[in-house]
Amino acid sequence: MGQFIQFAMTRATMALITLLTVSLIVFTLMELVPGTCAERYLAFKNTQGSQISVADIEAEEKRLGLDRPFLVRWTSWVGNVFFKGEFGDSCILRLNINQLLADKFWISLGICLAALILSYLIAVPIGIVSATSTSAATNNTLRFISYLGLALPNFLLALIIMLASTVLFGDSLTGLFSKEFRDAAWSWPKFQDFLSRAWLPIFILGWSATAFALQTVRALMLDEVGKLYVTAASARGVTGSTLLWRYPARHALGPVINSLGFDLNRIFNELPIVALILTLTEAGSLLIEALARSNDQQLAGAIIFLLTASIVALNFVTDILLAILDPRVRRGLMG
Amino acid sequence: MSWFRRKKTEGVDQKAKEAYFTASQGQLIWARFSSNRSAMIALWALVIMVMMGLFAPFLSPYDPTIAGRDKDYENGAPQIPKFWDENGFSARPFIYATERERSIKTNFRWVVQENRDKRLYVQLFVEDWEYSFLDIKWDLPFGLPPLQVKTLTFDTHLFGVDGGKIHLFGTDASGKDIFGRTLHAIWTSLAVGTLGVFIAFVLALIIGGISGYYGGWIDSILQMITDAIRTVPPIPLFMALAAFMPDHWSSETRFFFISIILGFIGWPTLARRIRTHLLTERAQEYVLAAELCGASSSHIIRRHLLPSFTSYIIVDLMISFPYMVRSETALSFIGLGLKDPVNSLGALMQNVSQADVLLNYQWYFIPVLFFIALVLAFVFVGDGLRDAADPYSGTKK
Repeated sequence: MGQFIQFAMTRATMALITLLTVSLIVFTLMELVPGTCAERYLAFKNTQGSQISVADIEAEEKRLGLDRPFLVRWTSWVGNVFFKGEFGDSCILRLNINQLLADKFWISLGICLAALILSYLIAVPIGIVSATSTSAATNNTLRFISYLGLALPNFLLALIIMLASTVLFGDSLTGLFSKEFRDAAWSWPKFQDFLSRAWLPIFILGWSATAFALQTVRALMLDEVGKLYVTAASARGVTGSTLLWRYPARHALGPVINSLGFDLNRIFNELPIVALILTLTEAGSLLIEALARSNDQQLAGAIIFLLTASIVALNFVTDILLAILDPRVRRGLMG
Repeated sequence: MSWFRRKKTEGVDQKAKEAYFTASQGQLIWARFSSNRSAMIALWALVIMVMMGLFAPFLSPYDPTIAGRDKDYENGAPQIPKFWDENGFSARPFIYATERERSIKTNFRWVVQENRDKRLYVQLFVEDWEYSFLDIKWDLPFGLPPLQVKTLTFDTHLFGVDGGKIHLFGTDASGKDIFGRTLHAIWTSLAVGTLGVFIAFVLALIIGGISGYYGGWIDSILQMITDAIRTVPPIPLFMALAAFMPDHWSSETRFFFISIILGFIGWPTLARRIRTHLLTERAQEYVLAAELCGASSSHIIRRHLLPSFTSYIIVDLMISFPYMVRSETALSFIGLGLKDPVNSLGALMQNVSQADVLLNYQWYFIPVLFFIALVLAFVFVGDGLRDAADPYSGTKK
């Protein structure tokens, strides 16, 4: 047990180091975006009619602490994030980022995780069938359908479904809540309403993630199916799906669990586009808003950092999960 | 007689065996690849599309920029050449002439109508706008005259019609020919992808190579950085980087910038593969032998280690290609990549996202079909290559 705790601690430290590196990269990038937070805010004020001078900008920079050296600013940013969970204020909206993001981030994460689960619910059985089936026709059809998820631009899929639902049900399915629940507090009916709409982004994100998951499952299964222990098991009389599930699948799925974090990464990539089409109001669309429309580096940095942090967290969880589930690792750690 | 025949088949067998054992790595991979039917179909589709992109100016009858617009046929439907109609049969395919009218009858809106009595015949090798296959213009610094190369200039196009214009895939809102735009877009998207893959490949080779060859603490530090970059979701990061692009940048500058971004973010996965492979290969005897002979590190990497996994690298590059093309389209679709006057698949797809288009101008979707075909072709070729390059895949069956 002591060894297991040590293993978990090492993993946690590594995750923390990765997060620190990421925060440095993200922070540097946000610094490189032309213009500072102070200039941006005052330029915004300028459009509202007030006259802004260079002295005003300098004063504002001083107030925001932008005149300090780069490393000091990074340390204070990271310190605030890690110890207080504070991301500061948005450059343009002048609102606390935590308040701005709170619900939206969790909704996005929930949608993405659901899409991840969906993609593996499809990919694992199809991947196993595709790796073991001898019929080229089944094999090619299954692969074609799943690759179509990759090739079909997800916005197109969203558009088609939206159009179909407008014609059939008279509701375009855009947004995450219907009108009456948009500003309501969380409750059971609101959650039901949310689910009745959230399936669309989950389905679209999940299908496009399936292609890659399927490729992984198929390749791993192909490696395992030909091995001697499988032949030995079938010689003992284990056949059919029992054989597959008890022997090669258990081996093949270990690395799959390990790669979950990177699959989540891929789903995050799709999120902004799907959010844009479905006019969702969660972190993905906020990110587009922050980056594309207003160059709000403080907000963008916070969102990218949060997305990365959830990937790192998932990687950590899968590492621990694998250590518990895989007897080889478990015996090595716990004796 | 039967004895004779048997002897002969044995001889053929022997020959096939000999050919198998003396074949080079490349020949073996090709033999396995070409027996995979879905991969071969995909390869043909890919070759055809690349060719279409390469010869886009020759194949497209009109200039895909605003200069070649057809102002009398905006948002026009595709015109498909016919061989016969109620007025009789014709050996040469034809389309109908169109007339644009605005009067009290049409409620004072411009309405385009086909004149079914006036046929426009399709002609081959028509002369129209001028294009060059090699057209480079660089503004050199220090007041030097700009470097300009313009050769291989032609003005012949594969087809066109007499006394009018033909739009196979219809036209867009400003009257630009969608057929021409699609062909040019394929080329642009492929070029962005290629440049991105190339940059990613060079970076991966250097970083993965150093990390895998030297090992030890250099490896640990480089791996830490690689892992950190690998966890950052690329598209949000692209968006952050794309926000750097000032609005006044020309389309060429944007194009290069996007490719560079794609390359700078695509390297970690490949670098990791190269590093893992190098770490295992480095411990082999042949490397030790070369070291004892006094070969330098760079010589060993170039002459001994790299050739040992060229096929893996090619497969990896092929697999990463559709993701690059997809990233370009995604970025352009959000409006942060290449913008509308440029013909990239992403920019063309951006036009599709309005409900108006979906209901009235369905031919805007034709470029999307090409995108789907392109990605599918790449994925199937990549899969086929992976199966073919795996030396154990043949023995399994």
